[in-house]
Amino acid sequence: MTMVLNVEGLRKSYGNLEALKGISFQVEQGEIFALIGPNGAGKTTALRIIATLLSPSDGRVTFLGHDLKKEPEKFRENISYLPEEAGAYRNLKGTNYLEFMARFYSRSAAEEQEFLGRARDIAGLGGRLKEKVGTYSKGMVRKLLLARALMTKPALTILDEPTSGLDVINSLEVREIIKRFAREGISVLLSSHNMLEIEFLSDRVALIDQGRILDQGTSAQLKDKYQAPNLEVVFRSALR
Amino acid sequence: MKKFLNLLTKEIRELVTLQLIGSLVFTFVLFYFIGQLAKSEAARAAAPQKIAALDLDRSDVSRGLLDNLRSINYIIEPAAAADKEAAVEAVRRSPVNFLLVIPAGFGEAVSRFETREVETYTFMRSFSMSATRNSAVFRSVIAALNRYMSDEYLKQRIAEIPPENLKNPIKSRDFVVIKDRQAQGSAGDIAGFVFGQSIFVPIILMMIIIYSSQMVISAIAMEKQNKTLETLLTVPIRRSSIVTAKMLASGLVGLLSAAIYMVGFRFYMRGFTGDMRVGAEVSQVIEKLGLVLDAKGYIILGVSLFFAILCALALAIILGVLAEDFRSAQSLIMPVVFLVLIPYFISFFADFRTLSLPVKIFILAIPFSHPFLATQNILLENYQAVALGILYMVAVFILLVGLAARIFSTDRVLTMKLRWGRKKVVL
Repeated sequence: MTMVLNVEGLRKSYGNLEALKGISFQVEQGEIFALIGPNGAGKTTALRIIATLLSPSDGRVTFLGHDLKKEPEKFRENISYLPEEAGAYRNLKGTNYLEFMARFYSRSAAEEQEFLGRARDIAGLGGRLKEKVGTYSKGMVRKLLLARALMTKPALTILDEPTSGLDVINSLEVREIIKRFAREGISVLLSSHNMLEIEFLSDRVALIDQGRILDQGTSAQLKDKYQAPNLEVVFRSALR
Repeated sequence: MKKFLNLLTKEIRELVTLQLIGSLVFTFVLFYFIGQLAKSEAARAAAPQKIAALDLDRSDVSRGLLDNLRSINYIIEPAAAADKEAAVEAVRRSPVNFLLVIPAGFGEAVSRFETREVETYTFMRSFSMSATRNSAVFRSVIAALNRYMSDEYLKQRIAEIPPENLKNPIKSRDFVVIKDRQAQGSAGDIAGFVFGQSIFVPIILMMIIIYSSQMVISAIAMEKQNKTLETLLTVPIRRSSIVTAKMLASGLVGLLSAAIYMVGFRFYMRGFTGDMRVGAEVSQVIEKLGLVLDAKGYIILGVSLFFAILCALALAIILGVLAEDFRSAQSLIMPVVFLVLIPYFISFFADFRTLSLPVKIFILAIPFSHPFLATQNILLENYQAVALGILYMVAVFILLVGLAARIFSTDRVLTMKLRWGRKKVVL
């Protein structure tokens, strides 16, 4: 398997506060890799650094061989990021928003149409795409944003709490979409509080707390190692 | 370029909302309506005034006075009343606003060069602009009567000399000198003309700077409030392009909004001041003194305005980053407003040359001061001062844009915010 993302000894400080204390992990092509941990563990900080929003204080991040510090534009061209509390432009219609985002990645009109067609399928919003985003429910906005993140089939998709704000049915649908895209070769790096979701979605999991990775492996490996019935118990045991 | 245009189109589409269009149309219509109202009120006030006159004297002198008033465009209506009380009551019931009462024995007294009182009654029926103008009517009536009477006296006593020569024996020929040019004319007329012509420059400048800055700050604040900034910062486009697109879109929309407001404002001002057309005599003097902005002057002024706007937009970008949401963005516009208002008021109420050195330095340090000072400097051909002002604004702009681009290319675009509770900048 090709390694898509390599994170080595990643550190991040905000003044005196050390949010990440040297974490390391890798994500392979078509793999769904999850970071799980409590609030303030450093998950979002790690995702934001890889998405080029924050600069690391120390450590090395490479994506398809490109170094984050030297070539952040290579990351932006091939990575899409869905933040936990993301929104879309309220005065734009759903279709206009998708067109706006697609134009940053498409190299031709045909490719733009291909992206938009895929986005319409993922979003499943039908005629509502012709209405302004300001009229959407939180769940509809989330599906629109997920469509935006996946429509270009990026080499790596970073999803921070991808099902945040969605009801049970929509959450299941979104998980299926993520699985489908991973099967097509897209790598996914995600974080979630929902352990059931993580167990269902991820190929491998990293347990993160207070800026450190406590352990990582497949769900089965971790459950076996900690003699735990599920990831929640695994996490509690790893904390001890 | 395709990506930049995509971003620019989005920024403009985000800024030009139905609320903005509605507010522009409403303000334009309001200005136009108030201007037209003021114009019709002014026209009514300037029309020949009707004055009811109760002549209890019935002498040649009193008849001469009333004829004189008729000759200077007053409409004199004899009051159909036997005494003062009845005349007041009659006029109170009529639409006429003025009553002049000439008492009995008036003619005989003034013939003996004794002063006598006439009584004037102004019927105030409202407190509008035309009502305030009514208060001045009797001042001009009494002045006209005094002029007429004194001329009559002088004609009686010194018939061989025209009264005007006796009252104003000294005449003046006025010249105005500007640099190496001079022309015959009144300094007051020239100053009034130049002020009238350049009054709109500071207003336009102030409006454009404030509108554009407000739009940039709001655009960034809205990106933060709607949680769209993080996504935008991860798309494959240079951060400097994001800064430029926001500045350009806000500048364009700000310029358009200010232009619409100014057209409306011009209608409003014309209602109060008229069309400010100048007589041929003053026009010739203005031309002779070179006090007309030619093409070169307009270009220089335009360049000065352009860099002032760029400075404001770059400053607004930085302030916008400090905003957490749309509400806090409203407060963050205040530094820009203050920096514009200081030179705005100075340009109206003070002479920059007479200010003390520390105040001058303070004013010149504000980049927005330079276009305010530029109009006068261009008219007075102080091009060096204008050029230095432009150079200073270029330097400030480069500094601010560099700072804005640096903020956008680092974590600070997401982490820097002004916390009103603790009143400190968190980096």
